Amino acid sequence: MQDGIALTTLDEFFNWGRKNSLWPMTFGLACCAIEMMATGAAKYDLERFGCGAFMATPRRSDLMIVAGTVTLKMATRVKLLYEQMAEPKYVISMGSCANKGGPYWQHGYHVLKGVDEVVPVDVYVPGCPPRPEALIEGVMTLQKKIANERLLRDKWVKHA
Amino acid sequence: MLNELAAKINAAVAGANAQVLQAEDAKCESSILVEGTQIHAVCAFLKSSGSMNVLQAISGVDYVEHLEVVYLFAKFDPAAPAQLLLKVRTTDRVNGNFDTISDLFPAANFQERECYDMLGVRFNNHPDHRRILCPDDWQGYPLRKDYVTQKNYNGMEVFPEGKMNMADREFIVRQDMIKKAQEAAAGKVQ
Repeated sequence: MQDGIALTTLDEFFNWGRKNSLWPMTFGLACCAIEMMATGAAKYDLERFGCGAFMATPRRSDLMIVAGTVTLKMATRVKLLYEQMAEPKYVISMGSCANKGGPYWQHGYHVLKGVDEVVPVDVYVPGCPPRPEALIEGVMTLQKKIANERLLRDKWVKHA
Repeated sequence: MLNELAAKINAAVAGANAQVLQAEDAKCESSILVEGTQIHAVCAFLKSSGSMNVLQAISGVDYVEHLEVVYLFAKFDPAAPAQLLLKVRTTDRVNGNFDTISDLFPAANFQERECYDMLGVRFNNHPDHRRILCPDDWQGYPLRKDYVTQKNYNGMEVFPEGKMNMADREFIVRQDMIKKAQEAAAGKVQ
């Protein structure tokens, strides 16, 4: 194997590397963030999926897990944080509140009805809050999505 | 006990006009209603006389006819613990204001800000009179009965029509209250 030659496409090689080193942003808004912390901690161990390096800044992270209620006051900040992340970037909307307003859907004057109003969402994880297994499935769904991307042909790499 | 305290307040503060409001239900607590302009003097008296030494909460109620601010005081004294609901009222929904008591009880600072944020009651001489929960440029006061949510905030739709059943959104009871408050406001203008 040492002298062997592996044949693959550059896209697949990139995607393999990218999907197994997703760096989420340390960013929690409400009770879903508690489940997100549990997912990152020892018992569920998100690190097994290459997704446990929670970065403390948007500049170094490429996954935003919107965990919790997005109020209108916060939505402006969420959008700003998303814009500060470097491309390619992904968003997981975690829990009912981030998906569509959750229990504040009907009468909540202060809650944004779904974070997809301000940022493009890749994966929606339902639940109130979702169990860690659900978030892990969301991450794995995102990894499958990344594995099928054509980065070199895509808009992100213009002069490749 | 409340009657005694009301008598004491009336004796100490001129124009306080303290009266006891009996609770309708025996399980509920009775309260003392004082004149809004004298709230600072009344609280100063409660503090200096030692009748009450802790401000536990300030909350507000919109009764449509009037706005009410409720101060919940307590006396932390193992020998004679006590509690007091002190109420003030204003019928002015536009410029209703009371003197702040945050110089007497620092705990009142945030509580008064919240009361202003949710009900639009202003507090004179407050050291930091801003909204506390809603954004600074938010329109209206959410806990008022006649509150109608703004359509947009910062380019975001508050209730996107494509996402919800608009006909089902308002409770019928609330519609009644909005109508009543609007009629009351219209009557005042004339």
